[in-house]
Amino acid sequence: MKRTAALRAVALGAAVAMIATACASGSGGNEEAEGDGDNVTLTWWHNSNTGVGKDYYDQMADQFETDHPGVTVEVSAMAHEDMLTKLDAAFQSGDQPDVFMERGGGELKAHVEAGLVKDITDSAADTISAIGGSVAGWQVEGKTYALPFSLGVVGFWYNKAIFADAGITAAPTTMDELYAAIDTLKAAGIEPISVGAGDKWPAAHYWYYFALRQCSQEVLADATQTLDFSDDCWVRAGEDLEALVAKEPFNTGFLATVAQTGPASASGLLATGKVAMELAGHWEPGVMQGLTDDGLGLGENTGWFAFPAVQGGDGDPTAQLGGGDAWACSNDAPDVCVDFLEFMLSNEVQKGFAEYDMGLPTLPSATAFVSAPELAQLLAVRNEAPYIQLYFDTAFGESVGGAMNDAIANVFGSVGSAQDIVDATQAAAENA
Amino acid sequence: MTSTLAPPTRASRSARARTGSRVAHRTSPWVYVASVAIAAVVLAPVLYAVIGGFRSNGQLAADPTGLPNPWVFANYVGVLTSGSFWTYALNSVIIAVITTVLVVVAGVMAAYPLARYRFKGRQALFNVFVLGLLFPLTVAIIPLFLMVRDLNLTNTYWGVALPQAAFALPMTIVILRPFLMSLPNELEEAAMLDGASRIGFFWRILVPLSGPGMVTVGVLAFVGSWNGYLLPLLFLNRPELKTLPLGVADFSTQYSADTAGVLAFTSLAIIPALVFFLSMQKRIVSGLQGAVKG
Amino acid sequence: MNPGATDQATAWSVASGPRGRGASSNAWRKRLEITFFVAPALVLFALFVIVPVLQAGHYSVYKWNGLGPLDNFVGLQNYVQALGDQIFQRSVRNNLTIAFLSIAIQLPIGIMVALLLNRRFRGQTAMRVIVFVPYVLAEVVAGVVWALILQPNGPLDALLDSVGLGAIGQVWLGDPKVALWTVMGVLTWKYSGLAIVLLLAGLQGVPEELHEAAQIDGASWWQVQRKITIPLLGPTIRTWIFLSMIGSLQLFDMVWILTKGGPVNATVTMATYLINQGTDRQQYGYASAVAILLFAISFILAILYQTFFLNRDAGEDKPRRKKVAR
Repeated sequence: MKRTAALRAVALGAAVAMIATACASGSGGNEEAEGDGDNVTLTWWHNSNTGVGKDYYDQMADQFETDHPGVTVEVSAMAHEDMLTKLDAAFQSGDQPDVFMERGGGELKAHVEAGLVKDITDSAADTISAIGGSVAGWQVEGKTYALPFSLGVVGFWYNKAIFADAGITAAPTTMDELYAAIDTLKAAGIEPISVGAGDKWPAAHYWYYFALRQCSQEVLADATQTLDFSDDCWVRAGEDLEALVAKEPFNTGFLATVAQTGPASASGLLATGKVAMELAGHWEPGVMQGLTDDGLGLGENTGWFAFPAVQGGDGDPTAQLGGGDAWACSNDAPDVCVDFLEFMLSNEVQKGFAEYDMGLPTLPSATAFVSAPELAQLLAVRNEAPYIQLYFDTAFGESVGGAMNDAIANVFGSVGSAQDIVDATQAAAENA
Repeated sequence: MTSTLAPPTRASRSARARTGSRVAHRTSPWVYVASVAIAAVVLAPVLYAVIGGFRSNGQLAADPTGLPNPWVFANYVGVLTSGSFWTYALNSVIIAVITTVLVVVAGVMAAYPLARYRFKGRQALFNVFVLGLLFPLTVAIIPLFLMVRDLNLTNTYWGVALPQAAFALPMTIVILRPFLMSLPNELEEAAMLDGASRIGFFWRILVPLSGPGMVTVGVLAFVGSWNGYLLPLLFLNRPELKTLPLGVADFSTQYSADTAGVLAFTSLAIIPALVFFLSMQKRIVSGLQGAVKG
Repeated sequence: MNPGATDQATAWSVASGPRGRGASSNAWRKRLEITFFVAPALVLFALFVIVPVLQAGHYSVYKWNGLGPLDNFVGLQNYVQALGDQIFQRSVRNNLTIAFLSIAIQLPIGIMVALLLNRRFRGQTAMRVIVFVPYVLAEVVAGVVWALILQPNGPLDALLDSVGLGAIGQVWLGDPKVALWTVMGVLTWKYSGLAIVLLLAGLQGVPEELHEAAQIDGASWWQVQRKITIPLLGPTIRTWIFLSMIGSLQLFDMVWILTKGGPVNATVTMATYLINQGTDRQQYGYASAVAILLFAISFILAILYQTFFLNRDAGEDKPRRKKVAR
């Protein structure tokens, strides 16, 4: 139900629902393992509960059953928010399914500390090395606990036609250029940016990115481990945010705007041409497609540019903010569960995953199959980034992340300061 | 009057005439003006949803208040022809009925001694139930989840209905107790003189007389169950057990921005509860007219 | 009746059996009857309400993220933290505001509409159904629809524009100064139906003859209502106020769907605070402490209310009950 970062992956479902093609037959990834005579049941919860995505996962489950006689995969497809609520309750009672989604960061750490997630460092070593650096977000103290199957980055989605009409020819690459674009758009009578500050996390992404630009990689990595925010780059990030808010670039009533639900949401405003741009993740085209009658979203007017560089920051201007989803096994799941994870990250499965636009595949060999041009552009930026910072709220865990997002939203509402964000985050960290 | 064929007596005719004139006398135009105004305010949002269901998303986005042009039936047809809507509705009905029966039976039974017996600890017992009003369901959701699991009630209608009924009990008892208290003591004295036992009095006289009160608490329990979201969400995992609010939530996330579709789905989802209330409303009115005089 | 009857000597025993057969067997029988009647409700209530709530109280003195054993005992720290938190303080203020305004707004509406619908006119039955429609709607449904209606440049603004009142248009839910009042308006729409229905039920207990007698005496309709009907509604009104107050203190669903307690905490309530700061952040110990505080505040107000208002009902009851002398 109600988790700050919750709606992110709804895009998966929305994107998938739009693809009207029937499902192609999955070609088998043939594993060596055979049933040892024992009948084993794997329970699997996922959130692709519509259209081809659901069909595809059902097929993959059948495929796995065929390849592993004696194994039954019991699939539960549910809406994303429902899945999160149920997973929470299931973790508390120790009833989690054998295969489930992990988003990494502090949440994974808590699950690991409670002994709920299987260590797959050795049992899935080959797949881990095939995926490469993306796995880092799902490691705790050097051990790997989940295999990421989709990983995206956040950037500005914009309406090419509005930009062109307003006379903006090149996508902004620095904050000054972004400010110039904002002024131009306002002069043309267009609300420049929509932001779903009502859901808090879309607003928080701005501060995350300013922090990413202001703080060095060491400071960021250190903060994730120690939850120490004493470096003054964190305050500077807030000051950058205050400057942006003071420009008043956001849509009317943005403090109560939701991220993705309905035409009046931040995504809806962009999709229907009411605003020029929005800061969002790779899910945005899929969400926008669901928000227009023709199912095309912005269609060929869809543009994307990375978060601009900030002058004087210690961070790498090409570092990206992002996050993704990974498959994990319950600690008490049968061993064949790890085979299933590896199967899900096999070349075949990831290829189909990419072809159906179900997400941005993590297996390098599968990335070529992403068809949409702006997603391919985003993927290129992702692949070239020196590092991808996991969303801070996920990285720091819900309790610190929630307090941080609240304080950031207060700055959007002009009732909090740059220092307040750091203070609130630090206080929550010490209390956690 | 034993025969319907008998001509009306003078007394009855004059009584009818008097009643008729009173009705005419009382109904001033302002009653209708006020009624129309109230109905407009109350129904506007609902009509917006129902009519919105006949529009396309493009129409909704272009002009938020307009009428359908052209009328789009696809939204409603789509919902009604999907088997899942009917499954959800049936599940909601079953759970709401179980909850309502539990609440009304347990509630009226408990309210009876609390209203008409005198015993030590009566007020204390009543206060325990009243205290229940002060706990929101959210407070107890985690322990409740464990409890339902331990009782092996996860994925059953009872797993949802029992806690729902338990949380609806305080309201039920708070409403029923004064209702039972207000029934005239002469009834009890008469029954007592006829040699009825207390339990006999309860079943034969009190229960029929408290019909209107039971209908009221029954409607409240039914509506609460019908609209319940959190418990079904946590306790019902299997799609074939989902209830309408879960269906609405599913629908609105699956078709994340099909606002018109969502409006159609939600409009249809409220109809069963309205129909239920409509039928109960008649019983409230007739029940009250009969019971009070009886 | 027997003025000397003790609690034990019921009217029943006086009538149905010779007195000598002993108060004790009657007392036993009465106890059995009471147990029989109360048991189903009590078992249900204890199992699914009292036990879970006590467990919540237990969690409230631990720091617990919901995973693993309860082993980090922190005493009252969660309570201290909540009471010192400005947002929690604000949520208490908001709850009290909502509770007061709900009564101040919905009671007059409820009485007027109930009196109106108690008159006989064509369409009376239809109207009785209509006023209850918002209450029957699921919060999810009502919230979704209202959020659409109240969106910037949405239906409400368009409507105001079309009748020349565009100037009073607001960012209904997005402006921290306006949002609480907007929520208040939606709450009035959603929950007035309950007041109306309860009051209508109460009106059925007012004997028709009183009206007729008064009217024959030449009193106007309004005088009859004010002098006779409304005072007789006293117990119903006091019960409704109690229910409304408790409902306001626990308010969650509508606020959560409309604003999630925002913008910038303008509409935060204790229950949305509980979910937002507690459950959502996996601070279940803290959430439980907030829940217990919510209960404590409701409890104190309930006791105060009972002491000052509901006792009047009890006072009215007393002579009647004595007459039965159970």
